[in-house]
Amino acid sequence: MMEKASNEVLPRVRRTFFKSQWFFLLIAEVVLAIITGTINPRFFTLSNITNIIEQIAVLGILASGMTVLIISGEIDISVGANVGLVSCVIAMMIKNDVNYLWVVITAVTLAVFNSFLVGASSLAFKAPSFIVSLGFLSVFRGTAYAITKGVFQTIYGKFEALGLTRIGKVIPLSFLIGIIIYFFIYFILKYTKFGRHIYSVGSNPMAAFLSGISVSRTKLMAFLLNGVLIGIAAMILLSRIGAAQPTTGSGMELKAIGAVVIGGTPLSGGKGNILGTFLGVLLMGIISNSLNMLRVNPYFQEVVFGIFIVASLAVSAFGTYFRKSE
Amino acid sequence: MNKDVIVQLKNIVKIYGGHAVLKRVSFDLRAGEVHCVVGENGAGKSTLIKILSGAVVPEEGEIYVLGKRLRALTPRLAINLGISTVYQDAELVDSLTVAENIFLGSEKLSSFPIVIDKKKQNQEARYILQKLGVDLDPDLVVEDLSAAQRQIVQIAKALFRKAKVIIFDEPTSSLGMEETKALMKIIQNLKMQGIGIIYISHYLREIFEIGDRVTILKDGENMGTYDINEIDIETVVKKMVGRDVALFFQRKPIKLGEVQVQIRNLSKDNIVKNVSFDVKSGEIFGIGGLVGSGRTELVSLIFGIKKPDSGEIIIRGKKVRIRSPMDAIRNGICFVPEDRKKYAMFLGRNVVENAVVVINELLKQYLLRLRQEIKLTADLIKKLSIVVSSKDQLIEELSGGNQQKVIAGRWLLNSEAVLYIFDEPTKGVDIGAREQIYELMLELAERGKSIIMVSSDMPELLSMSDRIGIMRKGEMVEILENKGLKEEELLKYFIGV
Repeated sequence: MMEKASNEVLPRVRRTFFKSQWFFLLIAEVVLAIITGTINPRFFTLSNITNIIEQIAVLGILASGMTVLIISGEIDISVGANVGLVSCVIAMMIKNDVNYLWVVITAVTLAVFNSFLVGASSLAFKAPSFIVSLGFLSVFRGTAYAITKGVFQTIYGKFEALGLTRIGKVIPLSFLIGIIIYFFIYFILKYTKFGRHIYSVGSNPMAAFLSGISVSRTKLMAFLLNGVLIGIAAMILLSRIGAAQPTTGSGMELKAIGAVVIGGTPLSGGKGNILGTFLGVLLMGIISNSLNMLRVNPYFQEVVFGIFIVASLAVSAFGTYFRKSE
Repeated sequence: MNKDVIVQLKNIVKIYGGHAVLKRVSFDLRAGEVHCVVGENGAGKSTLIKILSGAVVPEEGEIYVLGKRLRALTPRLAINLGISTVYQDAELVDSLTVAENIFLGSEKLSSFPIVIDKKKQNQEARYILQKLGVDLDPDLVVEDLSAAQRQIVQIAKALFRKAKVIIFDEPTSSLGMEETKALMKIIQNLKMQGIGIIYISHYLREIFEIGDRVTILKDGENMGTYDINEIDIETVVKKMVGRDVALFFQRKPIKLGEVQVQIRNLSKDNIVKNVSFDVKSGEIFGIGGLVGSGRTELVSLIFGIKKPDSGEIIIRGKKVRIRSPMDAIRNGICFVPEDRKKYAMFLGRNVVENAVVVINELLKQYLLRLRQEIKLTADLIKKLSIVVSSKDQLIEELSGGNQQKVIAGRWLLNSEAVLYIFDEPTKGVDIGAREQIYELMLELAERGKSIIMVSSDMPELLSMSDRIGIMRKGEMVEILENKGLKEEELLKYFIGV
């Protein structure tokens, strides 16, 4: 009875379907797939599709953490370097036959610790996290060089389960982990108080503070959550590649940020959702795969990526412009 | 026309969004006089200045400068004609020196092009400052100067530009006693040099100290221009506020209960000094005072936004420790801030999320109750008759009055609350919504809540408050029973005459 009454006062009107960014993303993905598929039919084979979803697993996990961070109004561009440092450390442990349990614990703890450093310094010094994380990027990468002495760390045939297992010989375990994480983040953002805090501090930190929300604690939690995901991503990456070096993961933060932005989460914070990020990551995977399928020069692929990020920003900018002029 | 008149405005009309802020106002300024302009907030003083400094173009009326008729002024034209304005927050470049600021835009170049002749600039700046009778090193960086010194730099800048008219906009609001005296001296000095001065201030005493003539504005109309010795403070005040009584909101009386909130000796730096007062249940306690008197700072101490240096807050007989807004909320204190866009609204989030943010903080659990949230919001919307089209409507898509209702409503959901603090509750809210906000406050009072209302709007203070605490220079100088109190009397307490 009550339920019905509140529905009358507050009808649920869905935002027009095709006005949302994820609709454009879906169209772009389908069109791209059809074009590539027509030119090179191998695109639609099961093995290629498995290949795509395996490739985007790590990026997806990083982008999930980045989504939370960006919604909270922060950013971390040391993510790639963090991944590099963690993979180097655990690769050295695996090489020395340390128990996998310790490897997993170390990976997550170290990644969380690194993220904590970035977040805590940014909040304590009231400095923009962009600049602070730029500094820590150097620290992490430098540390990785120092402990490996720049040497490639290979782990022949060890620690393979995480990255190479395929459930039913089709679905990669890493992809499944990625999907679980998407759902986990979706749950946090939509159904928990912490998720609501993330949106609040990103939208208006002063109003959040005056409403009794601890702004720094919320932001720090976002950094720590990001750290956990970085740890998981680093393990999957190492497991799949079978080797690590200090430059492992470099540039991944930009791809993750790109995927988040393409997915409709603005860098100004307070808005966005994980579905968009998922589609953004998928688009990146399809583009990368299509470029390979179409035998585009690998150097040129970087250029295409950049153009896509700029283009998606333009699309969302035009979107707001048109909404305003209405 | 009088030969001495340097600036003359005739029948100026300025309209903002269908509302006339200046209605056929005439004004003139003679060389070597101090012409004061007084009026309440919103009387049209700042618009008048803006027209003279070229920032605003009037819809109707004539402007004469030095006998020459002008269609409109632009900022550049005003400066070229010798009209300079000294603002309360000095418009200076903080990282440059005194001399560099004075010569900004018209630097003295040395024989080698593009290079500034620093020595010459400093020399000339020193000369100008000496002529003003002040001792200020032109090589100091503006950042390190006091508010008074910054004003002097602005005055020096005006003199360098050969100003014939200098407009002072609330020059003493951030100055102490000594500095005010020094400024008065400088103004006398400028007057002797034949410069015409337009002086705007809330402090009527100053006006009687240095003014030659005074023009009183009220609701955009000129209530008259008088020689200072043919008028007294009483008359000025009366003419400033003489308002239609019908504009007052007629509230119903509410029976007061026990003392519920006690504020004891609250102090912070030199902004809030030893403030104590009580609020009973069902009582609306108004806090009035001029801008900068420490009103907002006082309530920000009570709500835990800033930590007081000393003092106690006692709620229902129990001393409470408030070190953050969270502590305040847990102790039943609510705060509806002044600038809702800056301090309250979550832009890009929907009405529901904006409404339930505080009540969610009082929950112990980690998960949200989405159904409950919608129900609470729906009840609120019905109760406050907020116009909302759908559940997903964003807060910024509502009208100003409806936004304010959602923000105030956020605090109503907390039924355990004891004390409500409203900071300028109806600023920027249209008349219809204004009454609804008043009704809301009265309903809270009826339910036995205590209410503190900070307001610059005198009719609001007088029509809503049971008692009014007067803040002046950080102190609560007086607590008045609101019985037969008049606006004139209130204003006198504000100013301290």
